[in-house]
Amino acid sequence: MSGGVDSSVAAAILVESGVETIGVTMKLLARAETGFGCCGSPADVDDAKRVCEKLGIPHYTADMAEMFESKVIKPYVDAYLGGLTPNPCVECNRSVKFGHLLGLADAWGCAAVATGHYARVENGRLLKALDRNKDQTYFLYSLTQKELAKAQFPVGGLSKDAVRAKARELGLKTADKPESMETCFVPGRDVRGFVAARPEAEGASALERGPIRSTDGRLLGEHAGLASYTVGQRRGLGVTAPAPTYVLRLEPETNTLVVGGESETGCSTLAVGRVSWTRGAPQGPRRAEVRVRHRHAPAAAMLDLRADGTVSVAFDAPQRAPAPGQAAVFYDGDEVLGGGTILRGGPLE
Amino acid sequence: MIYLDHNATTPVRPEVFDAMLPWLRDGYGNPGSVYALGQKARAAVERAREQVAGLLGAADVSEVVFTSGGSESDVLAISGAAWQAHDETKGLRRRIVTTRIEHDAVRGLLTQLKRRGFEPAEAACGTDGITPAAGLTALIDDATAVVSVMYANNETGALQPVAEAAAAARAVGALFHTDAVQAAGKTPIDVKALGCDLLALSGHKLNAAKGVGALYVRRGVRLSQVVTGHQEKNRRGGTENVAGIVGLGLACELAGRELKDAAAHSLALRKRIEAGVLAIKGATLNGHSSLRMPNTAHFSFTDLDGHHLVVGLDLEGICVSSGPACSSGASTPSHVLTAMGVPAALATGSLRVSVGWGTTDADVDRFLAVLPKTVARLRAAAVPA
Repeated sequence: MSGGVDSSVAAAILVESGVETIGVTMKLLARAETGFGCCGSPADVDDAKRVCEKLGIPHYTADMAEMFESKVIKPYVDAYLGGLTPNPCVECNRSVKFGHLLGLADAWGCAAVATGHYARVENGRLLKALDRNKDQTYFLYSLTQKELAKAQFPVGGLSKDAVRAKARELGLKTADKPESMETCFVPGRDVRGFVAARPEAEGASALERGPIRSTDGRLLGEHAGLASYTVGQRRGLGVTAPAPTYVLRLEPETNTLVVGGESETGCSTLAVGRVSWTRGAPQGPRRAEVRVRHRHAPAAAMLDLRADGTVSVAFDAPQRAPAPGQAAVFYDGDEVLGGGTILRGGPLE
Repeated sequence: MIYLDHNATTPVRPEVFDAMLPWLRDGYGNPGSVYALGQKARAAVERAREQVAGLLGAADVSEVVFTSGGSESDVLAISGAAWQAHDETKGLRRRIVTTRIEHDAVRGLLTQLKRRGFEPAEAACGTDGITPAAGLTALIDDATAVVSVMYANNETGALQPVAEAAAAARAVGALFHTDAVQAAGKTPIDVKALGCDLLALSGHKLNAAKGVGALYVRRGVRLSQVVTGHQEKNRRGGTENVAGIVGLGLACELAGRELKDAAAHSLALRKRIEAGVLAIKGATLNGHSSLRMPNTAHFSFTDLDGHHLVVGLDLEGICVSSGPACSSGASTPSHVLTAMGVPAALATGSLRVSVGWGTTDADVDRFLAVLPKTVARLRAAAVPA
């Protein structure tokens, strides 16, 4: 329970269904004064406690700051320093919420772990939320049968409005709490500032200025350090050009930011690593719809599972600017088949 | 439910509860009022003062000052003595000698007093949880305003060298205070034999209610006021918590009367607990093996987060604690264990078991039956960070 409205209502639904329920808030940051949304700041812990008191269930905190640091924050920083665009929510779900917390819950004698995610589980199948606008399956693809057997998403069948209405009806203090829209451990969305303040960043070339070039090698300007850019980004490049200009690639080897016009952002193939499958890997190539960022409309593609476990994705039509480091998630209609981390994208060879 | 956290708080004894009730109903008079209703309340407060004085062996009943609890008693003692000395010596006595393992009520106050010009000095703690007397007395000099040493540590139960520290304080004309919140009513205390000037106790740690406590102030000791007002002979302002005070008085009388048997009972239970817990692989005892409160046992487990263990045991209906109740929730090693030199990994895996009035052999049986399973399950679930 983050202290937000979704997990509050998830708890309320479980309590109403008659299930013996306990609330747990994870403390993810050692000093979380600024934390908002999922970091277990004192104010958020207080909100979660108040909700549990209202629901008449026990509430506990679980300090997972050490694990969060090693499994989520550090890899996030390393990724930015390596010219990638990490997805910390995926890692948090994989290692913390449905890793460590699930193990703890098991040790505490709990049959299942429920969260406030907008997703559904039916017969071991991970399905998109009914509220398509809120669907969070993009961040949950790493769940396998082992985790899905114990994962529950009580608000996955509700709209956000219905969740808020239910919270108000129950008099939960989190009913009108604003949504968290940023990476929970990065204050004020200042990714660059956050990364720069970390010890790993010392002397890192990803924070040094370098050239902005076109695909044919023309020097177009100077960038502020690759860690500040994401593939597909249009704003804040400082390049004057007759047509809109987008980030195409980050090249850490030469500290170069490669940009181009919209026509050049198209990507027909993806190499995807660290792949996991919700119900086991497919036998041979199969068709699927692939989502390359949150809220991206899944695009039809052919998946080819390689011997080394990576997946090669061939889109039917080019997709705009998938960013290495982000997740590629494979769907079959409503169902999540699996996914992985985008290693690189490129035009069809 | 099995309650094994008597160092956090204790159940109110039924006799105490019954004794308090009339003062919440018809006996609502203000002890300071002229009329009979007030006089009755005053008489009840004074009776309780006798009972508390009796438990402590005070020379005079007027040496007992009622407060809102242990923290307030500590603040009145240390702050009151420090500022009094400051005023009387024009700031020459500004040293405050204490230990590294005091309760947060004392530590927080000392941090504040330091900002205001006092000079706290902390004596180091031994690995057995006891602050060596030599380390304490070496810090006590003629610039010392007050020496404050807890009687028994709230986490480990280890007994501190209060008599030695009191003598050293007296020798240089400093006042000596002891935070006896964990000891009063559980182990025999005689303020005269101890030679202390000030002693704090708390109602809810000895089967009275929360929100009431007392400070023993040896006759002749002058304290700068903290809560101003004329009550308690100008030593603590505020209308008396009559019901709470009545309960505290009776609880002290009962504790004094039953002390020997209760301590023997606690010790027998504690020994069973220690034998049972130490049979678990990777469990160690923190604190001196014998110079310790009879009711307190503190353990460390390898490969375990004590907070997770406490949650797991709660879900089995067993109340114990990892850190002190006031700081629950954060898996950071306690300052006490750190001062004892317990490695961080072991300090994180800590468990405090404290028995008391009402604890039975059956409670201990159940605890010892559940604990090894919960420990094993949590260890199996541990994911390396």
